[in-house]
Amino acid sequence: MNDALMPRIRDYVADRLSARDLMLERVERIAVGWSHETWLFDAVWRDGSAQHRLGLCLRRDPGNALLRHLSTLETQFKVLQCLELTELPTPKPYWFESDAAILDAPFLVMEKVAGVCPSPWGREGRAFYAAAAQRGTLPNSFTRTLATLHNLDWRAAGLDFLGAPMPGKAFAQREIAKWRELIAASDHPPEPILTDLVGWLEANAPTTDRVCLVHGAYRTGNLLIDDDRISAVLDWELQVLGDPMYDVAYVLSDLNREGTPLLSNLVERDAFFRDYEAATGFTIDENVCRYYNALYAMRSAAFWMSASGLYTSGRSNDIRLARTAYSLPDVLDRAAKELGY
Amino acid sequence: MAGAPVGGAATRGAAVVNAAELLQRIAKTLRDDVGPAVDDEYPKTQAFMAAVVLQKLGRELALADAHRTADAAELRALADDLTKARVGADVPRSIGDAIERFGAVRDSASLCDLIDALYAGREDLGESRFDAWLGRIRSTLRAQIDRRLEFAK
Repeated sequence: MNDALMPRIRDYVADRLSARDLMLERVERIAVGWSHETWLFDAVWRDGSAQHRLGLCLRRDPGNALLRHLSTLETQFKVLQCLELTELPTPKPYWFESDAAILDAPFLVMEKVAGVCPSPWGREGRAFYAAAAQRGTLPNSFTRTLATLHNLDWRAAGLDFLGAPMPGKAFAQREIAKWRELIAASDHPPEPILTDLVGWLEANAPTTDRVCLVHGAYRTGNLLIDDDRISAVLDWELQVLGDPMYDVAYVLSDLNREGTPLLSNLVERDAFFRDYEAATGFTIDENVCRYYNALYAMRSAAFWMSASGLYTSGRSNDIRLARTAYSLPDVLDRAAKELGY
Repeated sequence: MAGAPVGGAATRGAAVVNAAELLQRIAKTLRDDVGPAVDDEYPKTQAFMAAVVLQKLGRELALADAHRTADAAELRALADDLTKARVGADVPRSIGDAIERFGAVRDSASLCDLIDALYAGREDLGESRFDAWLGRIRSTLRAQIDRRLEFAK
């Protein structure tokens, strides 16, 4: 933890809450997530005889984050503001500061929502989701929350600043262009399988005239869970306006489950199809989902090229980023299989 | 480089320490001794990640010579096959040029250019030749990625 930062965070929060005697308790730096530094803490202060406690989450831009130029904290804050009054469970956004003089870098502060977020990649997390799957409430909440997200009136919520694609192939083409840009910026040596994949994606882009708010990484591990229900949808870094099948493909993907047929380690496939289609009125198009699965392979390749580049160029000292150089062959293998070889 | 002795041990007649093996041993120390001794979550994760990276790097080094030789042989065979397929055929100029450049340098960059040229010239080339030529390239790429998975997995 960057201990030197804590008194400055305390002073900032005390100022915002006009609480001079404010203290920070239960301070915790979260090691998960690669894009921003995250701290959880309780702000505790007295007001006359009453004691107040407010759980907060602070995310700071370290200046070298993965996807930094694709998803700023300011955009994330704006998205959370737009979602605050909708049915979708999200953390309440409190403050965003672009002034680096306060904490050396831009940051946002939002509500610390009650709940847990077990990693689906570890043994304990897998056991957690397996047990929840047996009880049955959480899988239902998982599907209903995705349906709520896709049914949301994004225009009324003010999310049109994210940019709605034109009907036709524009959504897929825009995603391809975005990940192509990240790949080019990574300075990674050329990868022929990736070139093949991009050629295929461009030649086979699906058409859609349906535009929804799409989370971009809807899976266990990005969802906070309290009492067997989704208490908050987290990680608003990859959201776009576009085809809801993009999220559905992510849910259906083998990527997000380990050693289980349950989608996202949690939901039975048939139940997901039935409940999602009933709640949204959309028919899941498996061919389109297969296309988006290939697009996710391109996105993953872009992530790992960018991430390993941050480490090798000395812009980050996080060894987890160095590890991603060895994730790339796995993604390329997946891409090759998607293309049939 | 794979198999290179580290330090002067070999010349002094002591046990030769292979670079790849050394990395594996450092990885083991980080995983078994350093990581578990660290309490803070962030540096602990870093120690374990360093162990993973060094272990994979060690395997990559150990396989590097064999992989380089196999890659070169396959790229040469691919260039030969595509050059033969092109002879006497009516081929869009951009694709012909790309095959020629790939045949001359046989590297990843020129292979990417060739794949791009195939997609761009697909209509003029015709579906059957597009499928056949891209299929030939893909068999080489499949073999290459299988080799990379030997150390990356």
